[in-house]
Amino acid sequence: MRWRRVLVALMLVALAAAAGAGLARSAGDRGRPDPVRAVAAELRCPACQGESVADSRSPIAVAMRQVVADQLAQGRDRDEIRRWFVQRYGADVLTDPPDRGVRLLLWGVPALALLAGAYAAVRTLRPRAGRARPAAPRTPGARATRRAWRVASVGVVGLVASVAVVTYRLDPPARPAPADPVAVALQLAHDLETQDRYDAAAQMYQEALRERPDDAVRLRLAFALLRSGDSDGAQRTAREVLGREPNSPDGLLVLGLAQRTSQPVEAERSLRRFLAVAPAHPAAAEIRRLLSPDPAPNGR
Amino acid sequence: MRRPTLRRPGWLRAWPATVLALTLAVGALVAVGLRAPAASEPGGTPSVAGAPAPALSGTTLDGGRFALAEARGQVVLVNVFASWCGPCRDELPLLVDTERSWSPRGLRVVGLNIRDGVDAVRALLDETGATGLTVVPDPDGTRAVEWGVRGVPETFVVDRDGRLVDRRQGVVTRQWLEQRIAPLLAG
Repeated sequence: MRWRRVLVALMLVALAAAAGAGLARSAGDRGRPDPVRAVAAELRCPACQGESVADSRSPIAVAMRQVVADQLAQGRDRDEIRRWFVQRYGADVLTDPPDRGVRLLLWGVPALALLAGAYAAVRTLRPRAGRARPAAPRTPGARATRRAWRVASVGVVGLVASVAVVTYRLDPPARPAPADPVAVALQLAHDLETQDRYDAAAQMYQEALRERPDDAVRLRLAFALLRSGDSDGAQRTAREVLGREPNSPDGLLVLGLAQRTSQPVEAERSLRRFLAVAPAHPAAAEIRRLLSPDPAPNGR
Repeated sequence: MRRPTLRRPGWLRAWPATVLALTLAVGALVAVGLRAPAASEPGGTPSVAGAPAPALSGTTLDGGRFALAEARGQVVLVNVFASWCGPCRDELPLLVDTERSWSPRGLRVVGLNIRDGVDAVRALLDETGATGLTVVPDPDGTRAVEWGVRGVPETFVVDRDGRLVDRRQGVVTRQWLEQRIAPLLAG
């Protein structure tokens, strides 16, 4: 008899732990130290379907996040900001509009189902007090019912536990994907380059660099500047990279190409260094062709 | 010995009924839930008629100044656009054309250029022949949010008394302009 109690206690502990884990997971967002995200997560992006302002990449959602940040900085609290948005976008802008009517049922039905299940369990497992004789529950039929209940309980605990474990596994990769402004800026810059809008692309690269200084991005910026006709800017950017990494092939390539208009001698030196450093570079053949018809000043 | 076995079928018979009732309840709930958002969709846009228009003022793209408050007495079309928005490109010529022909009757068109670059929007204005358009840049999009903008393009109509009287999500058409703007100009 004792081991059964222990089993029941263990089951309850397991259920409580799973429920606690679930609660902690859903409350996790609010506990984060990012108040802008917390407010934005409760606003629905008006330009998208089923996405919150915190998760959406649409320009309107980005602007709405900015408004939330501005208003928080001005010292407004969550409710004031929500009211501000409801005035402009209507109550639908909230991801959790106040519960009424049918939405209350959504909470009521599961609670009712749980209560009904518990009542049925009590009825089956505990014979009525008036008929409680030690021999009564020992009938084979009653034993089978008890076994069925136990198996079902273990099944439910197993289901809850496995869902908890699986969601922990599934969630992390989905998180970091949405809001990376640098990745968005780089993608935008790349798209602009394919449309031959190199000065706009250069602006996006500069924006990305402000967020995350990175030499690979700096080289893309140098290329974009070169193609937009700003050879001074391209030279300056390439030299910044070469200052840290003197043999960067792309750095030498941009520097050399940028120097061609104003300093042909230095340009040739830079491009020859580029060929020496990276003879197999995709641009190497083109550069060789560029240098060969020109009678080299240092002779052969 | 027989009693418990007799009693069990009795309440076991009630069990399927309970399950059935619960299933029906959940099914009805889901059905109602699925219908609910569709029903509330048309009312999703808050009605704007008559409310005072939000403030809009600032330096324009060509260095001038624009203030909506100073445009009282004129009907103002505020067109929210961006160079990265294809449909905006299509509607700009119509808006410019409308302003040209209706400005003697008191129409003003203002472009609110959201989250855009100066060079990109200049190029767009050049391409669409809209260089004369008054454009107020909104680089971070916060002014547009103040207007309750849901997407681009979107066009707001402010009457001669500075009240927001109409809005249109998506591209404006000549027919819409004639139905909604012409009466305001006549009045």
